[in-house]
Amino acid sequence: MVQIDYMLMISRQGKVRLMRWFCPYSAKDKNKICRELTTTVLSRKTKMCNILEYQDHKVVYKRYASLYFVCGINSDANNELLTLEIIHRYVEAMDTYFNNVCELDIIFNFSKAYEILNEILICDGAITETSKHSILKTVASMDALETSDNLDQVLS
Amino acid sequence: MGSLRTFIKDVRGAKTLAEERSIVTKESARIRTKLKDDHLPQEKRRKNIHKLLYLHILGEKTHFAQVECINLIASDDFRDKRLGYLAAMILLDEHQEVLTLLTNLISNDLTHPNRYVVSLALSTLGSLTSPELARDLYPDVETILARSTDEFLVKKALQCAAKLIERDASLLEIFYPYVGTILKSHHLCTHGGLLGVVKLCQVALSCRPQYEYDNYPEILQSLVANIPELFSLLQDMNSTSFNPEYDVGGTCDPFLQVELLYTLRLMFELAPQGTDRYKNKLNDILTKIATNSDGSKNAAHAVLYECVRTIFALQLDQSLKILGVNVLAKFLGGKDNNTKYVGLNTLLDVVPQEPNAVQKHRKFISRCLFDPDISIRARAVELTFAILNDSNMTELVEELLSFLKGSDDQDKDLIISTVNHLVNHFDSRTPDQENWAIDVMVQVLKVVGQHISLDKVSEVLLMINNGQDLNHKLQVIQQILTVSLGRLEGVVKGDNLAWKLMSVWCIGEYGDILLQKNIFSDTRLAEYLSALNHMYSDSIMLIGYVLTAALKLSSKTNNPGCVEELRQIIMGHTRDTNLMLQNKSYQYSIIFNQPAGLKHDILGAMPFFEKKSKGGSDKVSLQKNMAPPTKPVESSLLLDLLETSPPRNPPTKFHNDVLASQVENDTRTAPLAGNGVYASVPENAAQCYTSSEMAVFMRIKSVGPEGAELELFVRAVVPMHNVQIFAAVSKTQKLILGTLSSASLESDQVCVQELRVSGSGKLKFRIKIVHQGSDMNLKTEQFDHKFDQSL
Repeated sequence: MVQIDYMLMISRQGKVRLMRWFCPYSAKDKNKICRELTTTVLSRKTKMCNILEYQDHKVVYKRYASLYFVCGINSDANNELLTLEIIHRYVEAMDTYFNNVCELDIIFNFSKAYEILNEILICDGAITETSKHSILKTVASMDALETSDNLDQVLS
Repeated sequence: MGSLRTFIKDVRGAKTLAEERSIVTKESARIRTKLKDDHLPQEKRRKNIHKLLYLHILGEKTHFAQVECINLIASDDFRDKRLGYLAAMILLDEHQEVLTLLTNLISNDLTHPNRYVVSLALSTLGSLTSPELARDLYPDVETILARSTDEFLVKKALQCAAKLIERDASLLEIFYPYVGTILKSHHLCTHGGLLGVVKLCQVALSCRPQYEYDNYPEILQSLVANIPELFSLLQDMNSTSFNPEYDVGGTCDPFLQVELLYTLRLMFELAPQGTDRYKNKLNDILTKIATNSDGSKNAAHAVLYECVRTIFALQLDQSLKILGVNVLAKFLGGKDNNTKYVGLNTLLDVVPQEPNAVQKHRKFISRCLFDPDISIRARAVELTFAILNDSNMTELVEELLSFLKGSDDQDKDLIISTVNHLVNHFDSRTPDQENWAIDVMVQVLKVVGQHISLDKVSEVLLMINNGQDLNHKLQVIQQILTVSLGRLEGVVKGDNLAWKLMSVWCIGEYGDILLQKNIFSDTRLAEYLSALNHMYSDSIMLIGYVLTAALKLSSKTNNPGCVEELRQIIMGHTRDTNLMLQNKSYQYSIIFNQPAGLKHDILGAMPFFEKKSKGGSDKVSLQKNMAPPTKPVESSLLLDLLETSPPRNPPTKFHNDVLASQVENDTRTAPLAGNGVYASVPENAAQCYTSSEMAVFMRIKSVGPEGAELELFVRAVVPMHNVQIFAAVSKTQKLILGTLSSASLESDQVCVQELRVSGSGKLKFRIKIVHQGSDMNLKTEQFDHKFDQSL
């Protein structure tokens, strides 16, 4: 079972590039988690495992190029290895969408990164779709709908 | 006001933190004013929200934009709606009051003709639902589940329904039938749809405590009825051919497989009777998954891991458990650190259930002790202690020792806990491997002494002090001092205070033997003390030991130069700023000047010490030979010095009958260890106390004016050793305790204690039962019991 409480994307310079909270944390807690995890995760060596214990829960992270994807998972029933696969699936989806994704794509198109994430994780951070094809098709259809709306407006 | 892109570029282009802050606050203030403008074109509104989302990522406050999100959602333009919903999911949470404004909008959008609008509304409802929203909007979600043929909407509606049930458990009644219906309609059963179904199942299974109506058993039964479908899904995914769309490194959709396994686990846990007939099939499927999976990729490991957890959570057959342990051992042998981590973690949970199967793989565990990753090392240490027993002790402790040798300063916490574990472990062992234990601990102090608290060192000193084998003891001491006094300084690090402390102590205690055997000269020893005295003047404990050692050594040598050097050490602290050292040094200086004969008596060899008992204040034991609950070595040194009598025998005078001071008229049983009869509890005995470890019954055999005879039965729930029963009666009565039938009980065995009471008044007892659990800690349980009869 996987239920992700929060997902952060942190750059190697320690800047937060994206954050999505699936549980209602207070602003204070959010700041604390971001700050502390940034230092903890960045200071870990490459040989170390991608699972660490933080506060009362576990954190699973994975580095892709210059970005760290950090997920907080709470209950014991959570499968740490599968959490890594979810991160990977998300990265793959973004890679196809942006055609070889890089950090800059995410910085300037963060709302697209959110939209893609929303097609993978839903509600309390449960996984809702595993097919990369379906995920991207949905996002693309919604993008198309936006432009056609735009077109309607211009024509009228 | 520039575009979002320019804003992001500006922020990124800022040279200093202050400049960045000023750009951010300016933009934030500008957006705040713009939001007040009611006639702003939609395009500008979207831009503002976009910028706010960026500000949110930067960690800025965005609370002023909540209403603007709702304005966007209310728009008819899809671009507005999409952004509005996204912003709502990110900027709001279920505790915000503006959610009430959202109720109608979401309700409208849930019936919108465009599937993407409906999907956005469902996702948002799923993220933000409060109990009120759940109650208001569930009919719309149900309509989608009942009518929609669009798999895309159904998968989201299922997830949303699960979330609604989490917020209001009574909605379970509405939604649970859809588990069955959707599983049966094949066009809806894509993997996305199935993930929704199992999520709904999981929530339905775990919300039982919140569900208030009494038809839960029926709901459970209807959920369990879907097991065959779930089985066949799992089997299909583990067959040879599957849709490449769901392929993850050779495994078919690990996400769905794991969720299915977890759902099955919940079902079997919650409905043991209802699922009994499926158990064999479950065994088959799990065996197949555990043996067939190609275990080299993370995805395959994730499924195997879930499979093993299912096996142990459900306590399935022995053969499956062994298979599970083997899978975990394979995890340890692999290269992937994450797999090793979860493997070790799970093995830790599993050890109590399958100690022998885990034992077999101790090679793999030992190898993890040297892993480059500290979290893996930590788990491996913990696991090593978990499987440590008499038969593998030598081997595993050697492994631990080489782990300590290889450790560095980063591992400080781990080293400390390892040493604590080791000390406790040796503590609870019988002394037949005493010499070896002493060797090990001396080695430990040598390699990692700098990390070890000086309190722990006293435990090691105690071990040396209590060593029975004198030859070995001498060898050890010689070895210690050769390292300290010789030219081998490099072997022990300069900050290794623990080692120095041990050396000093050895000089003080065994100086006479060392001098007799001519191993070291007295001047060499005195020089060493003097050198430490100068070098470590800030370590109070070490200086305290140096003082004692100097005093003791002074009584064992006749060399005037040497005696003078020792005297200087002691006198040097009579004006110490530390009161304890000053005090000590002053008292020692008095003893120092006593005549040789008297001094020799005072400073004689240390007696043999029993270890202090472990545990809290209420775990009082009246066993003989218990040392006083003080720090063993140091304080006794002092006591020795303050009395002018010859060295004392084991400190028997500290036995105080604690219970006697607590309750009056108290007696204690003398347990007849081991040879008791295990009686059963008669039916007319009244149960007077139960706990997680025992059940206690009492029965009156006879009662009359001359006295009453009673019996007390203790039935053990867990194995207990050294059971002792204490009883007290009111002041007007006298109590005689008979013998206890047995002091050691396995679970479900019973021992009997006879009690005879004379005097007058009501029959009232205060009973206290002290026993040792399997972890060798003393445990105390106490209760009162009153009978209706009186004398």
